[in-house]
Amino acid sequence: MLKINNLHASIETDEGTKEILKGINLEIGDGQVHAIMGPNGSGKSTLSYVLAGREDYEVTKGSIELDGKNILELPPEERAAAGLFLAFQYPVEIPGVNMSTFLKTSVNAVRKQRGQEELDALAMLKLIREKSKELGISDDMMKRAVNVGFSGGEKKRNEILQMAILDPKFCVLDETDSGLDIDALKIVADGVNKMRGQNRSFLVITHYQRLLDYIKPDVVHVMAAGKIIKTGGPELALELEAKGYAEFVGKAA
Amino acid sequence: MSQLAALQPNNLPTPVQEEWKYTNLPKSIPAGLSALQPEPHSIHRNRGQTGGEPVQLLWTGREGTLQAPVLKVVLEEGADLTLIERHDGKGSYWKNMTTEIIVGANAKFNHVRIQNDDANAVHTNMVRVTLARDGTYNGFALNLGGKMMRHEIHAILNGANIECSFNGLNLANGQQHTDTTILMEHKAPHCRSNQFYRTVLDDSARGVFQGKVHVHKPAQKTDGYQLSNAILLSDKAEMDTKPELEIYADDVKCSHGATTGQLDEEPLFYLRSRGLTDAQARLLLMDAFVDEVVDKIEDEKFKTIIQQQAQEWLHKALSK
Repeated sequence: MLKINNLHASIETDEGTKEILKGINLEIGDGQVHAIMGPNGSGKSTLSYVLAGREDYEVTKGSIELDGKNILELPPEERAAAGLFLAFQYPVEIPGVNMSTFLKTSVNAVRKQRGQEELDALAMLKLIREKSKELGISDDMMKRAVNVGFSGGEKKRNEILQMAILDPKFCVLDETDSGLDIDALKIVADGVNKMRGQNRSFLVITHYQRLLDYIKPDVVHVMAAGKIIKTGGPELALELEAKGYAEFVGKAA
Repeated sequence: MSQLAALQPNNLPTPVQEEWKYTNLPKSIPAGLSALQPEPHSIHRNRGQTGGEPVQLLWTGREGTLQAPVLKVVLEEGADLTLIERHDGKGSYWKNMTTEIIVGANAKFNHVRIQNDDANAVHTNMVRVTLARDGTYNGFALNLGGKMMRHEIHAILNGANIECSFNGLNLANGQQHTDTTILMEHKAPHCRSNQFYRTVLDDSARGVFQGKVHVHKPAQKTDGYQLSNAILLSDKAEMDTKPELEIYADDVKCSHGATTGQLDEEPLFYLRSRGLTDAQARLLLMDAFVDEVVDKIEDEKFKTIIQQQAQEWLHKALSK
């Protein structure tokens, strides 16, 4: 499904060019869920932005292939059409754009690029209703501007809603669990688990092991200083939780 | 009531004067205009006279002329009125207008102004609004036209519990110059005033927003709000903003803010990551930017008309 090969990426800062990703290698098979754990500043969020095509980061080396096709040259919207979805760590507030306009525009933009017929108003309404009900998203929330005045939990549920209606094949969840109480976490995890299947893979980026009690990963990676320093099964997350990051990071340094 | 002074063609203000520092009127006036007689127009609503359809006025500019429309609107106590004022024209002319509005006690005036003068015209409008206690003025201006336009507003809040709002949308491209200058004078306690302007500038257009809230000593519990947001679509566009507060009362709530910039990258990226093309995302964000101020118009019909005009302008600007 997704293959990342020797990925290097840097960003321009006031102090000059700073390399953040220093050779990431990752292969995620069809239907698999991989988790990436790591301390702050290890490059987890940068990886998610680079996957989604944010232009502030320059990829200096390596490749990202989605189903055998290098997506690095594609703009963000074409990556979305190709089936990539990023659930943002900090979903962006967009004053003046209401939720339903946003969702309709988004679904039809993706469908058009995929060569699918655009949904009419009725089909769209049905799709949005069905998915938002599953995530406990109220009609009132649909009338508001995108993420404006949403609580932390509402913002994250909104990300999962978009993921559900855009029908992606590869989903990146960037710290979707951060700041959620246990009830909100369960709703979000349920939403993700419902979408798991043979034709869809997930990369779950998290700081805490807790999320992985609800979304069971097939593979766990530990990331530090821009590299993946250890890969293992779900037990690796428990080991991390018990020992803390220090030991792993120390080994990498 | 003193006579509202119109701009005098033989004695024009220059950028040397503080309130004209960004707008060079003498340089903009076409030569050889023939001056027409002032065209007075008056609207009077009697005490308690309410309801009815919005009143519509159209002022059309004519090639080679200096026109001096004079509009006087008086609302007696408890009256209400919605006025839709439109400006268009053809050719090179100077429309030099004075507008005097008197809102009586507990009266309410909704004033929508759509200025779409010729791209070669100069449009100046000196507006004075005087309000009595419990009066409401809700003004909205869409400024689209004119090579040079200045909308100068002076509001005097003379009684308690007045609500006075000036909102507007300025859209300018090419070599257009659009200037909104407001003086909001709070002279009595417990009044609320709002100034909310949004400006979009393309090409070499220049925008000016000068807004001043002057709170006199008796005007305790004043709630004064002022915000100007501008988006520049081109490197050559320029926005000059001068927000001012002058406060002599000691128990007031006043805020002002001004931003000038380009569209934020964060929402753009967010929308594109959801499949919208760069052009689609920009258009959606710009529509939202103007809608937030257009939303202040109370009259639903003209809200829709102004929304459409603004969208048309934006689509053209963004599809170049």
